[in-house]
Amino acid sequence: MPDVPTELGGVHHTARPTWKLKETVEFYHDILGLPIVHAISAIGWGPVDHPDFIHVFFGSGRDSTIAFFYYLGTPEPEQELPPESWLNKSVHTAWRVDTREQLLAWKERLEARGLPVLQVRHEIIESIYVTDPNGYMIEFTWQVRAMTQYDGLDAELTLAAAIGIEQEQGKRVTEIETVWQRKAQLVRKKLAEAA
Amino acid sequence: MPAIFVLDVPEFRALAEIARTRPDCRVSVAGMGYLLIESDHDIVFDRRELGFTPAVWYGAFTGGVEGRIAEFGRDTVRIVAVNAADPR
Repeated sequence: MPDVPTELGGVHHTARPTWKLKETVEFYHDILGLPIVHAISAIGWGPVDHPDFIHVFFGSGRDSTIAFFYYLGTPEPEQELPPESWLNKSVHTAWRVDTREQLLAWKERLEARGLPVLQVRHEIIESIYVTDPNGYMIEFTWQVRAMTQYDGLDAELTLAAAIGIEQEQGKRVTEIETVWQRKAQLVRKKLAEAA
Repeated sequence: MPAIFVLDVPEFRALAEIARTRPDCRVSVAGMGYLLIESDHDIVFDRRELGFTPAVWYGAFTGGVEGRIAEFGRDTVRIVAVNAADPR
């Protein structure tokens, strides 16, 4: 199919394991109000040690879903990190809302249900955060402005600076200051090429 | 002399606006969406004067730094020339 472009149409689902089926349904369906749109319940498949499972999908707007696997009879693996570790927050889902008023309405709704809500204004988004019963972080975000071609170019230069340093020194970069310094060199070079 | 590149976008624009009020700073349009802030002395910013939230503050120099960050606290940053003596 040479004429069919390979373009993506947004998120269909993300999926993570849960060992708390009832609490997960209560959080996403009862508290957040997401519809339960699909569930697979299946006997163990594939590898011989694969457990029976329930795979549930909650609707999260514009035909996107968030999904969970509930593996029957399996113990939850021991967590290597404490739940409050910053590293646990890196894997998260962020849902888009269209206006700041909607963002604040969600905050009010979540707080009314007794959930601690963190609100942060970032560079081009403003977000609120809650943690689900599994310890997964959920973000609601309002994008303040559209991203331009310059945002993308700037991002590429940041990455080129970090990767360039790592390739040169043969180990991982440890301080952002060195990235910023290399970035300035790359910006200078790009500007000279464009002149 | 220290210099910083600042992407000319609303969230970072206060850096250039404040720098323009400083007699020892020069602000110019560098191209590719960047502004260039240069100074013959240390470049010092106060977070509260900029109106930056912490999340923006700690990433405010992502555009690129020509110099060395001698100080980066919760409310104050000081960027000095690469070869400047460290007072600490």
